[in-house]
Amino acid sequence: MKEMIKITMSLVVIFVTAGIIMASVFAKTAPIMAEAQKREKEEALKKLMPEAEKITEAGKWEPFHKHAEYYEGKKGNDTVGYIASTYGKGYSSYISILVAVDPDIKVRKISILSHGETPGLGDEIEQEYFKKRFEGKSLEQLEVVKTETTDKIQAISGATISSRAVTNGVREAVKLLKEKYQGGTKG
Amino acid sequence: MNNRSYWDLIKNGIFAENPIFRVALSLCPAVAVTSGVKNGFLMGIAVLFVQTMVNVTISVIRKFIHPRVRIPSYMFVIATWVTVTDLLMAAFARDVYKQMGLYIQLIVAFAIILSRAELFASKNRVVPSFFDGLGMGIGFLFALIVISFFRELLGKGSIWGFPIVEFKPLLIMILPTGGFFAVGLLMGLFNWIDIKFFGGTGASGGGH
Repeated sequence: MKEMIKITMSLVVIFVTAGIIMASVFAKTAPIMAEAQKREKEEALKKLMPEAEKITEAGKWEPFHKHAEYYEGKKGNDTVGYIASTYGKGYSSYISILVAVDPDIKVRKISILSHGETPGLGDEIEQEYFKKRFEGKSLEQLEVVKTETTDKIQAISGATISSRAVTNGVREAVKLLKEKYQGGTKG
Repeated sequence: MNNRSYWDLIKNGIFAENPIFRVALSLCPAVAVTSGVKNGFLMGIAVLFVQTMVNVTISVIRKFIHPRVRIPSYMFVIATWVTVTDLLMAAFARDVYKQMGLYIQLIVAFAIILSRAELFASKNRVVPSFFDGLGMGIGFLFALIVISFFRELLGKGSIWGFPIVEFKPLLIMILPTGGFFAVGLLMGLFNWIDIKFFGGTGASGGGH
């Protein structure tokens, strides 16, 4: 009986202390982290569309049941393009992506905000050479193939699932923007 | 153990009981994150820090930990340090975190950290535990750099992302298969060095 109480005491004290340490560190860092993430997103938006004077949120949508937004970039009264934040379901995480498109709904540039893919394999999606493969692609071209190509999206060797996840996320975003901004004029 | 100098403890971690080449622990990260020298280096640094801090903490509270629940206690100390490091870096060192964030959370499950807590820190005073953690961390870092050096050079033809040759000599070295090849061959090399020059008995010559 005495032994049992000793064991319980030892565990409780260690776990509670550790819990308090973690909780207080989290409480201190969470607001700083949220602010940094917000700032990084704004910076990423600007970087994707440097010529836009104003990037305003145009609405919300839900790719893969996650919350995301889309934006309009304006210079004076002209629309210079649209940006949508989107997600792709990768190998070990949701990949958070920003997609910038031209007014004719062709991908201009993409940016990977965050992900938790395997270091060394899946994290190749951050590389410039992979992101460049999306530039100038229209909705129909956003498809992953394993052979060498410039017409569609060529998968990274060793990271097919991550490549496909990014492409799916981008395709959903382009589809959404096409519905919102081009559906009426062309149909 | 008490007669050993601190330098001996560090040397022990680098060669005699090198976590990967000699004791053969934490082989999972040794294969998973060594496809590039940069990855291996960052992971090694993260482990070096967590291993040292965990060793010190366990050593400080070792009298308080009940022997029959010591493993969950160690795990909680490790998890606390990993979480705290992760959160602090995410908040105050964003740029470094973007590079290292992927690796830090993985450390919770590393066998080498739990193993040193059990084998060394729980039986020794704070200062020797600190140096043991430092030595093991450096040994781990050294092993990851050596493995990733060969894998990146052969698999991608580059070092730290800078191209050395224009082509990819052996793509298989980047894939997990190549990781096993690299670890196995290097482990053999270290055994050979041990037997040939130090009169050792090969792997697990460290005594565990």
